[in-house]
Amino acid sequence: MKKRVTLTFPRRYVHMPVTYRLAKDFNIAASIIRAQVTPNQIGTLVVELSGDIDQLDAALDWMRSNDIGVSLASREIVIDEEVCVHCGLCTGVCPTEALTLDPQTFQLNFVRSRCVVCEQCIPTCPVQAISTNL
Amino acid sequence: MRTIAEINDKIQQKRAIVWTVEELKAKVQEIGVAQAAKEVDVITTGTFEPMEASGAMINLGQTDPPIKIRQCWLDGIPAYSGFGAVDLYLGAAQMADYSALGDADSEELRERGGGHVIADLIAGKAVHLRAVGQVTDCYARASFETSLTSDTINQFYLFNPRNLYQNFIVGVNGGDRPLYTYLGPLQPDLGNAVYSNPGALSPLMNDPKLQLVGVGTRIFLGGGVGYVAWEGTQHYPLQKRLPNETPIGPAATLALIGDAKQMQSRWVRGCYFRGYGASLMLGVGVPFPVLHEEAIAHCAVLDKDLVAPVVDFSIPRRIRPTFGLVSYAQLKSGRITIDGRSVKAAPLASLYLSRQVALELKHWIEAGEFTLTEAVAPIAMDRPFVSQDRLGRQLTLE
Repeated sequence: MKKRVTLTFPRRYVHMPVTYRLAKDFNIAASIIRAQVTPNQIGTLVVELSGDIDQLDAALDWMRSNDIGVSLASREIVIDEEVCVHCGLCTGVCPTEALTLDPQTFQLNFVRSRCVVCEQCIPTCPVQAISTNL
Repeated sequence: MRTIAEINDKIQQKRAIVWTVEELKAKVQEIGVAQAAKEVDVITTGTFEPMEASGAMINLGQTDPPIKIRQCWLDGIPAYSGFGAVDLYLGAAQMADYSALGDADSEELRERGGGHVIADLIAGKAVHLRAVGQVTDCYARASFETSLTSDTINQFYLFNPRNLYQNFIVGVNGGDRPLYTYLGPLQPDLGNAVYSNPGALSPLMNDPKLQLVGVGTRIFLGGGVGYVAWEGTQHYPLQKRLPNETPIGPAATLALIGDAKQMQSRWVRGCYFRGYGASLMLGVGVPFPVLHEEAIAHCAVLDKDLVAPVVDFSIPRRIRPTFGLVSYAQLKSGRITIDGRSVKAAPLASLYLSRQVALELKHWIEAGEFTLTEAVAPIAMDRPFVSQDRLGRQLTLE
C-alpha cells in the first residue's frame, strides 16, 4: 500500500540517510514529493511511502522513536468550485499536470495524486479559488 | 434573406431558430453554408475574460446639506469624481490607495481593486464610501461617509471603454527571471505561454469586418442587457488580416454600456494578477442576425484558421519581439511549439464560461425575452493606430 506522510527532522537528524534506512530495513520505496533540507536547520520532507502495510507501520514507529515528526495529514491543494471560473491560468504553471483543462468541456480538472503541492497555482489564480488545507 | 424585423417577429412568437456559434460551426461542416443560412435566424457568441478597461458610473444621490465630491474612496479604492456633485466613476483596474488605508493595510486589501468593488455591489454586498467635498455656496458639506449597496444609489451602470478585443496576443517570457504580467505569471526561459482570447468562440472573430454589430447593438453584458456604445479605445481595425478576414493580432475593440443593477455576480467577477494588479472578469455575449450567407461563412471559422502572435514580454517595450504566429487550435491543445521547443499553453479567458454565455443568450432569445436591434451607426473600420513617440524636450548635439 501507499501512504503520503510529512516528515519533520530535528536539526541533529538532518544528516540521517532516511530513505536508505527505509529501503534497507523495511523494504519501503520512498518517493520524495517535496523536500526542504538545509544543514543545521529543521528539515521537512513530503514522501510517498510504498510497501507492505506492516512494514509501513513499523517504519513509521521507528521514525517516531528517532524523534522524527511524522504527520499523516499532509498539506493538500484545495480548489473552491464555487469561486473557480475555469480560466485555466493555473494549468500553465503546474509542473506535474495535476491541473489540466478537460479537452472537451474546458472545465478545470485536478488530479490529486499527481500534485506535488508546489503551491505555484495559489498566487497564480486570479480569483483566489486555490488554497491549501493546512 | 431575412430582416431584423422579421427575426424579431419570430423571437416574439418564440419561433426563432437560435444556435450558438459552436453549434453553427458543427452544422456547417455537416450541411454547408447555404443550407445553414436557410435554417438558422440568430447565432449567439460569448466570451468570459478579464477586461480591465471597464468601470462603473455611479450616482449616489445628494446628501443634506449637499456635497460636491472632489475625492472619494469605495472600500479604500479611489473613484474619479471630477464631474458634477455626486457622480463617480470607478475603474476596474484601480488599486487601493495605500496611503489612505492607514492601519487597515493588509495583503487582502492590496489584492483588491475597483473590479472587486464593482463585483461586490453587483453581488448585493455593502461597500464603504468616504468622500471629501469642496465647500461652495451651492454645496455646504465638506465630507461624507456611508455604506452603499446597489439599491441605495441612483444610477449604477458599467461603461467600459475597451472590451471585446477582436483577437489578442500570446505572452511568453524569453528572459531569465519570472515576470508578473496582465496575462498572469510568465515563467522564464519560455516556461509557459498564456493566451487571452477564446479564438473561434470570440464574438468579433466571427464577424471580422463588424458587419453585424454597430453603435446601439443590444448585447448580453455581465448577465444583464447592455449595448455597444462606440468603438473601443485602441480600436485598430486596420490590423493585418488573413484571407478569411480575421486579424492576426489585436484589432477591433468595442466600448460597452449596460445597467449594472440587472447584472448577475456569476458573470461579473473581480480578479487580481499577482505583481500586476486588479481587473474585472466579465461575460459578454453578442447575437448575430443571419441576414446573409456571408454571415454564416464568417461564423463558420474554426480555431485552426485563426492565429495570434507569440510575444516575448522579457523586453518591456511597446513593440516587443515576437516568435511568429500560432493557431488557436494549437493553443487550445495545451501546447505550442516555439523555436522547436514544446511550451505549455494556458488560456486566460474561461472557455467553459464563454460557452455558457453563448448558451445563456441563446436561451434568452428562444424564450422571447431578448430581441435584436438595428445598429444606429456603423463602427469605423479605418481608424489609424497612433503612438506617443515625442518624449518631451529632446537633447541634441547642435
